[in-house]
Amino acid sequence: MEALDYFLPQVWFAVLALFLFLYVMLDGFDLGVGILSITASSEERRGILMTSLGNVWDANETWLVLMGGALFGAFPLAYGTILQALYIPIMIMIFGLIFRAVAFEFREHANTKVFWNVAFGGGSFLAAIGQGFALGAILQGISVDSAGHFTGGTWDWLTLRSLLVALTLIQGYVLIGSTYLILKTEGELQTTHNLTAKISAVTTFIGAVYLTITTPIFSESARTRLFETPLVYIFALIPLLGALLIFLLLKSLYSEQETRPFVWTLLLFLLSFIGLGLVVFPYIIPTQITIYQAAASPSSLVFMIVFIGFLIPIMLAYNIYNYIVFKGKVINEEY
Amino acid sequence: MEFLSDTVILSRLQFAVTAIFHMLWPILTTGMAIYLIVIEGLWLKTRNENYYYHARFWSKLYVLNFGIGVASGLPMEFEFGTNWGPFSQAVGDFFGSVLGFEASMAFALEAGFLGIMLFGWERVPPIMHYFATIMVAVGANLSIFWILSANSWLQTPAGGQFVDGHFVVGDYFQAIFNPFMLNSVLHMFFATLETSLFVIGGISAWYIINQRHAEFFTLSFKIVLAIAIAVTPLQLYIGHLSGEQVYHYQPTKLAAMEAQWETIPAGESPSWSAIAIPNDKAEQNDWEISIPGLLSYILEIKPRLSEPVLGLKEYAPEDRPHQIGLVYYAFRIMIAIGFILAGLMAVTTLQWLRGKLSAKNITQQRWLLRLWLLAAPLGYIAVECGWIVRCVGRQPWIVYGEIRTADGVSQVPASNVLTSLTAFTVVYSILFVFALYFGSRIIRQGPNLDLPVPGESFDPELDTTSAKHIPDSRPAEAQQ
Repeated sequence: MEALDYFLPQVWFAVLALFLFLYVMLDGFDLGVGILSITASSEERRGILMTSLGNVWDANETWLVLMGGALFGAFPLAYGTILQALYIPIMIMIFGLIFRAVAFEFREHANTKVFWNVAFGGGSFLAAIGQGFALGAILQGISVDSAGHFTGGTWDWLTLRSLLVALTLIQGYVLIGSTYLILKTEGELQTTHNLTAKISAVTTFIGAVYLTITTPIFSESARTRLFETPLVYIFALIPLLGALLIFLLLKSLYSEQETRPFVWTLLLFLLSFIGLGLVVFPYIIPTQITIYQAAASPSSLVFMIVFIGFLIPIMLAYNIYNYIVFKGKVINEEY
Repeated sequence: MEFLSDTVILSRLQFAVTAIFHMLWPILTTGMAIYLIVIEGLWLKTRNENYYYHARFWSKLYVLNFGIGVASGLPMEFEFGTNWGPFSQAVGDFFGSVLGFEASMAFALEAGFLGIMLFGWERVPPIMHYFATIMVAVGANLSIFWILSANSWLQTPAGGQFVDGHFVVGDYFQAIFNPFMLNSVLHMFFATLETSLFVIGGISAWYIINQRHAEFFTLSFKIVLAIAIAVTPLQLYIGHLSGEQVYHYQPTKLAAMEAQWETIPAGESPSWSAIAIPNDKAEQNDWEISIPGLLSYILEIKPRLSEPVLGLKEYAPEDRPHQIGLVYYAFRIMIAIGFILAGLMAVTTLQWLRGKLSAKNITQQRWLLRLWLLAAPLGYIAVECGWIVRCVGRQPWIVYGEIRTADGVSQVPASNVLTSLTAFTVVYSILFVFALYFGSRIIRQGPNLDLPVPGESFDPELDTTSAKHIPDSRPAEAQQ
């Protein structure tokens, strides 16, 4: 029983991490393309950008809904406390996602597309910055009492550091969005996004380096845990691998590869993700409430893992099938 | 304006605004998904291309609704955390996992196959496309199952117990299949289907009245009529069963629905109040028209009550709902619409049997078709009213008899909630207007009968090699 009390929350921490990673990766390029659409030089180009997402944006957003549901069910204490603490950034994200979601259909039918272009680009940007602030706020810690109830203020999430996390996340989304467009487009549009990929690769790198260097200094708990053996070796490896991946990414961009930039970016996302996971674990509300304290009862966790765990491979299968059906370049007839 | 600084009232209002708005869109998509299965099945069976064009035409309205449904559904999930944190923490073990099941089993399925259903006509074999359409419908309707299971549990909590204010699940099966669950799921399932049928029927009627593609839309009109023959009476019966459950399980809600202040003992044959002005302060109805002897028929289809109907005065003011007039009238509007739609179905069926709906005669049925046009929005109103009865009538409880609404709310500053509530109201109003505008635009444009039919005419200019992704439907239709 004792072992189960530790094992189940850990399993759910892993499942949540999987959902969050899938979300950040898939909606990451989705939002990134949306942010890039602000810079699109013509309606045709913007049309191609949106068409490249037309069949996947809702499926990509599914992972956010799933992550929310899983957090709610597996760690109810964290769900209530974190979302309450992050009321404003979450609302910013929600309104951003509303604007961009309706823009897909409304723009299609509208004669005057300007309004919905702004809704799409601006909504994507709002959603990304809301998520960035939320992530930043969680990483810097949420003040709670011993029972895990929120005791902080409404604006606690807004600090220079969370702003930096938000800006870095936006750069990351622009990067993965650019490499997705390299994969899905051709000609001039592809050249444009090769350039945006190069720029955002550098800006993401700068943000990531700064955050990596300062994280152990900022958070005491991260410092004590990460500088212990054997974790220190893994943790030391992450920046090295990151630098290598950035190098490979830039190299593939300069040699105008089509698929590799996207793959290297995905691996970069995965690596950052593992890094963040190591910093946060075993806390779910850093730096006070662990996953063991916030977890639902073992019977709930077992019941959920049976249901949802069984469905994960099925969900992955039909999502992959969806991508296979629509593989290849997006071209617009007028283009 | 005292309520402007009351987090509880503002949070309730925000949940009401977001729920009322969100509901409008999945009502049509879940119901229409079933119609799309029927129509695409008929196409595969008969290869009559009109069915194919129907599928293409209605799925344009489908996706318009779906987009807003997704956009407005997301806030609902997050609101449980942002605005109802203590509630989420108390019941998350069960309630949260059910929302997780909804996301993984229902929403993921619908979203995962929607791309293929909309844009995949030329990319997958017809049978695979049909499978995608079915999966979209299954996903949409499984959402009803899980969401209504979760909501029913709030009405009749079961399958575990509260330990120190925290719900611990003992038996998941009992909790999911709580007393209200089965009837509520069926009631909502038929509500979305019925609403969608009358929307499709009303739009079809508009085309027939205006003599645009009259024959084409007579097809859809008759299909929805055929389904409505089964659905409308069944829905009245299931609605009755739901009422009977409220009678047994939620006496305070029943009293509010009937604006009944005094207890009526068992064995009586009381009158049914048809119109009244309930007065919460004086604890009586200031004015009332009632029909003698009807209440026991409504509740039990019997001349006499077998159980007492408890009056509102049996409960202390803090233990009973207070917007009595709202619950009372919402309930009456819902029932009236249920009967109106069933009546319209009956009259239309009669005309059908008399041969008045044949291609030659149907354009003569102007008054009947106009009624269908007028009936198109009624289903929505009935559903919204039903949910008002269900959730306002449940007050002051968030989990009936266990957790009070006021105890479930997050203690965020009222100004935050006021800001987000205002933003939701403004944004949703704008979206509502645009949705109506674009929806009517799709309808005015009408069906595109020049689309290539998959697997039939091979247009050499149409490039469908899998290496090229031509957004099939979009550019072709934008040019018309």
